[in-house]
Amino acid sequence: MSQQTDRAEQVKRLQRREGWRRRLPLVPALVFTIVVTQVPFILSLWYSLTEWKIVPPEPRTFIGFGNYVDLLDNRFFREAVWTSVWMTVSAVLLSLLLGTLLAILLDRKFFGQGFVRTLLITPFLIMPVVAGLVWKTQVFNSSFGVLNWLLDSLWFERIEFVTRWPLWSIVSVLVWQWTPFMMLIVLAGLQGQDQSVLEAARVDGASSRAMFFQVTLPQLRPYLELGILLGSIYLIQVFDYVDVITGGGPDSTNVPYFVFQRSIGGGWQFGQASAYSIVVVIASIVIATFGLRVLSNLLEGEKP
Amino acid sequence: MEVGKKRAVSFLLGLLSWAVALVFFFPIFWMVLNGFKEEIDANTDPKLVFDPTFDRFDEVTSQTQGLLGFREAFMNSVWAVSISTILVLVLAVPAAYALAIRPVAKWRDVLFFFISTKFLPVVAAILPLWIIARELDLLNTRLVLIILYTAMNLPLAVWMLRSFFSEVPKELIEAAQIDGAKLRGQITSVILPIVAPGLAATALLCVIFAWNEFFLAVQLNPVDGSTIPIWVTSNVSTRGNFLAKLSAASTLATLPVVLAGWLAQKRMIRGLSMGAIK
Amino acid sequence: MAEVRYENASRIYPGTDIPAVESLNLDIPDGELLVLVGPSGSGKSTALRMLAGLEFVDEGSVYINSEDVTLTPPQDRDIAMVFQNYALYPNMTVQANMGFALKQQGVAKPERAERVQEAARILDLEPYLDRKPKNLSGGQRQRVAMGRAIVRRPQVFLMDEPLSNLDAKLRVQTRTELADLQARLGVTTVYVTHDQVEAMTMGHRVAVLKDGILQQVDRPRTLYSRPVNLFVAGFIGSPAMNLVEVSSEGTDGLRLGSLALPLDEQTAHDLAALDAGDYTVGVRPEHLQLASEGIAGEVTVVEELGSESYVHVTVEHQGGPLLLVVRAEGETMTQRGDNVLISCRGPVHVFAPNGERIGA
Repeated sequence: MSQQTDRAEQVKRLQRREGWRRRLPLVPALVFTIVVTQVPFILSLWYSLTEWKIVPPEPRTFIGFGNYVDLLDNRFFREAVWTSVWMTVSAVLLSLLLGTLLAILLDRKFFGQGFVRTLLITPFLIMPVVAGLVWKTQVFNSSFGVLNWLLDSLWFERIEFVTRWPLWSIVSVLVWQWTPFMMLIVLAGLQGQDQSVLEAARVDGASSRAMFFQVTLPQLRPYLELGILLGSIYLIQVFDYVDVITGGGPDSTNVPYFVFQRSIGGGWQFGQASAYSIVVVIASIVIATFGLRVLSNLLEGEKP
Repeated sequence: MEVGKKRAVSFLLGLLSWAVALVFFFPIFWMVLNGFKEEIDANTDPKLVFDPTFDRFDEVTSQTQGLLGFREAFMNSVWAVSISTILVLVLAVPAAYALAIRPVAKWRDVLFFFISTKFLPVVAAILPLWIIARELDLLNTRLVLIILYTAMNLPLAVWMLRSFFSEVPKELIEAAQIDGAKLRGQITSVILPIVAPGLAATALLCVIFAWNEFFLAVQLNPVDGSTIPIWVTSNVSTRGNFLAKLSAASTLATLPVVLAGWLAQKRMIRGLSMGAIK
Repeated sequence: MAEVRYENASRIYPGTDIPAVESLNLDIPDGELLVLVGPSGSGKSTALRMLAGLEFVDEGSVYINSEDVTLTPPQDRDIAMVFQNYALYPNMTVQANMGFALKQQGVAKPERAERVQEAARILDLEPYLDRKPKNLSGGQRQRVAMGRAIVRRPQVFLMDEPLSNLDAKLRVQTRTELADLQARLGVTTVYVTHDQVEAMTMGHRVAVLKDGILQQVDRPRTLYSRPVNLFVAGFIGSPAMNLVEVSSEGTDGLRLGSLALPLDEQTAHDLAALDAGDYTVGVRPEHLQLASEGIAGEVTVVEELGSESYVHVTVEHQGGPLLLVVRAEGETMTQRGDNVLISCRGPVHVFAPNGERIGA
């Protein structure tokens, strides 16, 4: 009897120890992540409910949802939201489309395939600040830009692209940098295709068109979703490009830049700026819910 | 006939691929080229033929009293990038082990938590971070960037490493257990050799993201401890011509990461995509 | 050298109610090769992994050499295991793979090399010692996995379907080599397979599992001639035993259509004591024969195996068609469509409605 309870206790102790042995390696990473990412976020929530100007320093006063009410009336904020939406959606979709086309081009044997791929991925490796500056000063620029020189040689008017179309100038650079990324993800998908399914379809007499739309595309879907997900995460936070290409202004100030301008960038309205950023968080959570669903689909069926 | 037509189409598609690749690469080529020009050659209609010179590279790397120098920025970047990447790996490897090899019961939830922190926009955290950093006297230090770059790359690293770790066959670890290997032996002799390429790819991606990071650097470290991206922007001047100088600086700034990326391109992609989808 | 004992050992996977292995009792004497066999999901691999320490024992105990190892981690059990996919360390050479366990034990390098050399000689692996596993053929990999086990001179060998990744011909060849090696080394071995032919040809004794419950453990011949229940009767033997449902009519014995089935004395006696009802009768194909009298049927398939042949005959039974497999000599003249008569010379196995064997 006592031997049995001994055994049961021993088992329990072993299982508890095993549980901790499994959890322990996670603790440092989890604690670090929680402290560095969650604590500031909670502080932000608190700030957003206060009126607080740092330069010149003023005492912080609690005003409840006042900042949020003001925010609804703020025309500039609404514009920044729209700019953000346009910028993210168009850049993600365009780069995905272009990237898919390029991936299909590259998924065949031809002379210098590896070299071409290397050339194509390079834009993704370029520092965003550099990408923005190079495009602004050497491609778009009305006097020395390559694009304008091309227009000029074809007897068109020279255009100052960045002032004329600030949003699309930024989107072009984003697409230039993210197309290679999308291409590589889709390429991985194309090369990971189940060859036997392709062969079966060919034996069944499917045309190339039908093969692409009915066999390849469905197999690519998780890869496309992953591309959209990762692209959105990064592109909704774009700051560098706006800063170096236009330095803000109508049609190019997105929400991150707007928050920056209202706080550290010169406005010093920390309470109000926090409220703006909380709105971004809420929007991100909406995207994240969608994104996490995609992720859980990706992980579905994969057992540890 | 049919074969001939197919070959022609194939040839044309190959040609198209080359053309697109060259167009995509052109801005980079142009940037590098302009770095070797005199300002007068750069600030005019595009020129392919000119007298190449290294003067711009000398100019941008020379020290000027009171201004952010290349060497200083470079060293700051190297410190922030390398230490943060090492920290990321030190934190992420055990975490990935606990998510893949001997998974905790709720490994999916934990993985989701890590990833979900990537959805939190940095702008939402930047104000409190700035205030905390100011309170702790960390503004304009390397340390603040090291901590934040670690946090920035950690979720991605956990995500990628988990997928690499879960490719280690379970039987191998069981075989090692039966062969009498303790945890340390299992990790050093069996697991690490298998995941080493994945580890390298993950580290490289962390290096790229940290090296290129601008937002946090410019908010928290605009003066001392500034990194390479800030140094690049310091070469934009409002007076006089700076195109060639900026090109030289940009070339120097991007070179390390571009070279590393070229070398590891295949692995990196596998790590990002195959890991997620299996 | 060791004996192994399972004592009421159960494994219940977290989140499930039904045990994967339920109160397993098994005594394996020193030097025996015991085969665990059963269909997939029968718990045979789980039982093996419980002995290895890779699977937690929820209830009961496991002993090696009368030492309770139930809670001992695999590292400390002094066992060696051969995995289905071999689990060779891909980054190590054959030599390093085979020496890994010795290295963990802290065996000095010269002795390690000598023992690896010796195992390599036994297994014809000497030319491959410096290769990596990926540069070996399937058969060679299998031998490396074996080598890794024998180098250690462990108390017990555990083998989890070690031959299932080999092609058919190599499998048969390796089967005998493996049995021979085990006999020479005399190490207690627990061997898991789903292949009953493998089980019958290799095992000193064979334990049949189904749904986590041990059905019967016996020498192969006994398992074949005296299956304790309907499941074992149907699982062991190839082609399978003919199993037919018949109704008993009092003391008259059992009949298959017009055919009276010859029961041995004990079975007839036990059956007589039971009520009339539906029983299942089992007759092995070699105990039926094409004859000049008996139950009539039509030949549907003839399987010619050379030395013998199996004739599939459809007969009428209880108002429906019934397929019987009859063994005939090789080069039989019978062909599809022939009308034949089948007689039974016994023995005949009888199983009660709950599947239990009736009689001795």
